[in-house]
Amino acid sequence: MTDADSPRERMEDKKDQVYEDLLNMITEEFGLSPTDVNPELDIREDLQFDSLQLYSFIINVEEAYDIRIADELIDQVHTMNDLVDMVYDIINKS
Amino acid sequence: MNDREQNMAETLVSIFEKVLVAEEKSLQKGYFSNLSLAEMHTLDAIGPYESRTMTETAQILGITVGTLTVSVDRLVKKGFVERRRDEEDRRVVRISLTRDGKLAARMHGKFHKVLAKHILEPYTEDEQELLLGLVHEVDDYLNTQVARYDNKDNIRQTAKDVAKDVRRRKNDD
Repeated sequence: MTDADSPRERMEDKKDQVYEDLLNMITEEFGLSPTDVNPELDIREDLQFDSLQLYSFIINVEEAYDIRIADELIDQVHTMNDLVDMVYDIINKS
Repeated sequence: MNDREQNMAETLVSIFEKVLVAEEKSLQKGYFSNLSLAEMHTLDAIGPYESRTMTETAQILGITVGTLTVSVDRLVKKGFVERRRDEEDRRVVRISLTRDGKLAARMHGKFHKVLAKHILEPYTEDEQELLLGLVHEVDDYLNTQVARYDNKDNIRQTAKDVAKDVRRRKNDD
């Protein structure tokens, strides 16, 4: 087994894929350039999402991954990284 | 009725009315001003994920299928609900929320959560548990009273029976 095939590497690849997917969705929905978004970006503060935009985006994510995201989890999301971690955890549990 | 009972009676009615008024106002001033509170509760009853039958939804709301049909017709026209025939039993109509319907229901759910958060916030964890316990007890008591009216044709007689029970319990105390 090469290093690139190790379980940890595969998990990281998958997380990167979730980041890419969410980046595409967020830039498409809000007309942003991919360079406007980075992992530490605060979705509410920096992008100035209001709650309607945030929920609208969350529904897109739920539909894209066929998952359910509880409101309590949404409240804990601030950065793009938080969002990726949350979605990644839910996908792995389902 | 003593002062405490009077105070409790007035406060219960006041809480009930104010929650409704706050909900109405948040709807009128929010993003979904074309939805009435009753319509929003219909969306809540259908739920954001699975589709439901008309009968199930009517039961959750405690209304007849006929009344629900009128409300669902309006919600379909406004673009919040969609209807389709059940794949397995074509006689059954299933209803589910559109994307806008899901968004409205989730935003409204958020309103209730924020309200609850602000009510609990000033208290310590122990006080919050105590308050929740008391509120649940009030809710349980009201549920038993509502249940007495279900499936009873003569509501006046049921109301008299409830009043008699309350008097008897008071005399026992």
